[in-house]
Order: sequence, then structure tokens, then C-alpha cells
Amino acid sequence: MSVDQRSAPPTAPGRRPRKPPPTPFAVGGTVLLVAVTLAAGWDWTYGIAFSLTEIFENFTNVNPAYEGLLNIDLERFRSETVRAGFAETFQMATIATMLGAVVGLPLALFNSVTGAPNRTVYLLVKNVNSVIRAIPDLVYAVFFVAAIGRGTLPGVLALFFLSIAVIAKLTSDTVDGIDQGPIESARASGASHLQMVRTAVLPQVLPNYVSFTLYTFEINLRGSAVLGFVGAGGIGEPLNNYYQRGQYDRMWGVVLGFFLVVFVVDRLSIALRKRLL
Amino acid sequence: MTTPTTDDQARRRSQDIVRPEKPFARFRWTVTITLLVLWFATTSTVDIELSNILELPERTVFYLTLMYGPPDLTVIGQATEAMFESLAMAWVGTMVAAALSFPLGFLAAQNLTRRPTVFAARQVLNFFRAVPEIIFLILFIPIFGLRPMAVALALGISSIGTIGKLTAEVIEGIDPGPLEAVAATGGGRLQRIRWSVIPQVMPEVVALWLYRFEINIRNSAVAGAVGAGGIGTLLVRQIGQIRDWAGAGTSLAVMILITLAVDTISGRLRRRIIRGPTRPVDVGTDDQPHDEGRDPPGRSHTPLAST
Repeated sequence: MSVDQRSAPPTAPGRRPRKPPPTPFAVGGTVLLVAVTLAAGWDWTYGIAFSLTEIFENFTNVNPAYEGLLNIDLERFRSETVRAGFAETFQMATIATMLGAVVGLPLALFNSVTGAPNRTVYLLVKNVNSVIRAIPDLVYAVFFVAAIGRGTLPGVLALFFLSIAVIAKLTSDTVDGIDQGPIESARASGASHLQMVRTAVLPQVLPNYVSFTLYTFEINLRGSAVLGFVGAGGIGEPLNNYYQRGQYDRMWGVVLGFFLVVFVVDRLSIALRKRLL
Repeated sequence: MTTPTTDDQARRRSQDIVRPEKPFARFRWTVTITLLVLWFATTSTVDIELSNILELPERTVFYLTLMYGPPDLTVIGQATEAMFESLAMAWVGTMVAAALSFPLGFLAAQNLTRRPTVFAARQVLNFFRAVPEIIFLILFIPIFGLRPMAVALALGISSIGTIGKLTAEVIEGIDPGPLEAVAATGGGRLQRIRWSVIPQVMPEVVALWLYRFEINIRNSAVAGAVGAGGIGTLLVRQIGQIRDWAGAGTSLAVMILITLAVDTISGRLRRRIIRGPTRPVDVGTDDQPHDEGRDPPGRSHTPLAST
């Protein structure tokens, strides 16, 4: 809590205690918050020209996209392309999650002082992880589409890097918080670093790691929707096609189907994760 | 000094010891087989040519050398401007999400709200979590056009689910003492929230907003899918359309550097906000968020269990 609770000045009976003045940090933070929000929302070079009136004015406009929403085409679920798109999305998400989980585990272990064999490896892996995490999946996708052509492979690669980022980050946070006891006893019994990691660190983070992997699968499933827009396969391909051609009734059909799939998978995965932990 | 008898006894005992059987053997086998089946089922049916995979390292290196051998530094101004536009989208989106998720967080907190309301509020939050940004973006483009504002709103609306859920978790973790104190002085529902809940949760909630801002910076690249501005659009154009690889090298570097810089500043601010001016409480070691993640900045180490 940022409220300073140390000094309660003595007050005369019956009088309200004086409210402590806000800290410089609180004042500065509030000013900064307002300034940044204005700068970001303003209509200038670096702003996005945010306007509330526009929201109210434009929401009532009739446009073909929303008319498509009214006569949504539910038959789309059964079309060949859409079904293939869903299958591809599942394949991409599964492969990427599994590969990402395998590669992400060592990256996660080395990303923490406890798990890394020495400081050089720790710093190296930490920086590599930061860079992997700083690049959005769409950028990976567009890079690999340009490098190896359209198709499923760029999509799998984009989700693969996304998986690494998520798993390495979450798991290494878990490694930072584990009980040091088993580590000490492993060291005391003469274990090598690798043996120590295997017997003292891994068992402690394993349930979390598995849970994060399932969570990554959910993220990959959701993330796959955008990849088709740059030609990286999955359900995004038909989505993008219908969007570009203005066939909004069909587009909303695919969107609804995708939403239902994601919702069901989320519920299943969350139930599984709850049992794990 | 050990006598021969005890030595002998010890040896005999160690021979007699039967190692306890490993638990969960069946569970382990089930998992292994399931994973193997999943792996082979997906890899054997997926539409990927082996030759493509084999060409992958060579081509990646080739295009990376095009990007960085050397990068075209003349686009640095354009890239920085695009990145700042992305930051602006992420920030406005986060503010929109903060404003909309705050009341929802209170409605979804079990210690303040009755069960049916909590259930309803959680379903609303789940809905926003399940829909990807791109869908909201498609939804907003007909209204606002291909403009950064559409992206900001899409980011904002799709962040509601996560921020709201995490806000609710923070509220559920408060100390009930002040709540009772305000109730004892005759405070009503709103007064209890204003004087006992908000002062307790505000630092952590603001830290959540900042954390979500960091994630939204990455998510703002989604604008590139439809061409609605920001660094994502610039990179998609440079790499995917005009093949300006040297320029893309610069844009990518600018994006990574600014993202990491903002992460570092935001991470410091978060820790300062949560820790407060005086008490050196350890709140975790993370400077940067995990990508795309919709979960908290190391509040607990099992944050995903209760999603």
C-alpha cells in the first residue's frame, strides 16, 4: 500500500486526525497518467484522435458489416473450407504448444538464478527470452510467410515462438518462488547442477509448468485467428477471405463458430488445470 | 567411531529397504500415450511439406542477413512514429479497459456481491476473454474505419475480461477488518467500498493496468492484420508487401528496443506502486510480462489455477 501509515500525529480529543498529504510519487503518478492519456488520445502526430462523440454518432450508422450480423450464416460451419480451417487451427495450436513446451522448459529454468548453471548462461537466456517476448506473433507470421511462403508452417512457427514466450515467462517466475530446502539438500548430497535441477527444481515446478502449457494451448487457439490474415493458415484464412470480399454474413458465422470452440476449450482446459494444482 | 555391529546393521537395513513404489504410474502412462498420440495425429495430418522445414534455417538466415546487413536507417523516423502510435493505441485501450473493468471487478468479487450477480459478472468477463482481439477489431472497423482508434477500442474491450477477473481476485484477497470497521460505523455498501475496499486494492489494481498496458503494446500489432496503423502495419507492409527488408530490420529493432524500454520503466513503476515508499516487500522479480498473457504480474505463483 502506498499510503504512509507510520505517522499518526497526536490529535486533540474530538478532532479529526489530519489527512496525510499525498506522497510526491502519488502526485507525480497522477499527473503522468493524465498527461500520457491526453497525449495518446489527442489528435496529433503521436496520438490516435480518440473521441467519445464519434462512438455515439457512428454506432447508429447502418453498415453492411452489421447487417451481415443480423442474417448470420450458420450453414458455414458445415462448409469444407471452414471445417478444414478449424482442423488446421487445432493442428497448428497442438504442434506449436508441444514444441514450445519442450523448448520453453530449459529456457525457463535458465531464466532464473536458481536454475541457470552460471551467470553467463543466465544473462544470455534472459535477454534472448526478452527479445522473443517483445516480438508479436503477427510479426513472426509475416516474416515466415515472406521467407518460406504461405501455408501452415509459418503459422506453426509464429505460435511456437508465442508458446516459448508464455511458457518461459510463467515457468521462470515459478522457479524464482520455489522452496530452497530441496535444492540445498540436493547440493549437500553432492548432486551436480543438472541432478539438482532434475531432483529439486523440476518436481516443484512441474504441476505449474503443465498448467501453463495448457494455458498456452488456449492462447495459441485464440492467437491462430489473426495469423490467417497474413497468410499463415488456420481459421483466419476463411475469416479473412469473407472479410475481404465483404461476405459478412458468412464471416460472422465463422466468428460465432470460433467463439464457441474457444469457449468450450477454455472451460475444459481450466477445469483440467484446476485439478492439476 | 562406528562399531562393526552398527555398520553391519546399517548395511543390512539398507538391503532390506524396499524403495517405495512410484505413485501415479498409471497417470504417467496415460499422459505419455495421450501426448504421443496427439503429436503423431497432428504432425501426420498437417499440411506441411518436409522440404519446407529443411529449407527453413537457410532461408531464415538469408532473410535476416537481408534485414541486418546492414539495416536501412533512413526509416528510423517513420518506424519510431509508428511505434509511438502503437504505444498510444495500447495506452488508450488500457485506459478504456480500466474504466470498464473496474465496476465489473467489484461485481465479480465474492466477498462483496451476491452469488447470482458474481456468476453473471464472471460469465461476462469470460466472454471478453474468449474473443480474440482481431474479432473486436473487425467489429469496430465498419464504425471507425481503418484508424488507430478502432484498434485502441478493440484492445480495450478485449482486455476487460482479464483485468476484470484479476481485479476481482485482488478484491477477494483484501483484509476484511476495514470492511467491518466501516460497517460498524454505519457505512453503507458504497461507503464500505469507497473507504475500505478501494484504498486496499488500488495499488495492486493500478499495477495490473500497467501490466496489461505492456501486454497491449505487443497485442497492438494486430492492427497490422488489417492495416489500421502502428508498427504492426508498418512491418506487415515492409515485409509482406513491398519487401523492404533493410527497412524492416530497422523497424523490428525499433519495436524491440522501445518495447523493452517501456517494459523496464513500467515494471519499476509497478513494483514501486505495490511496495509503497517505505516497506521493502519482495513482490517478484519480473521486469517484463510474458507475451499475450492474460494473467497477473506474479501475485501468486499459481495465478492460472482459478481462471
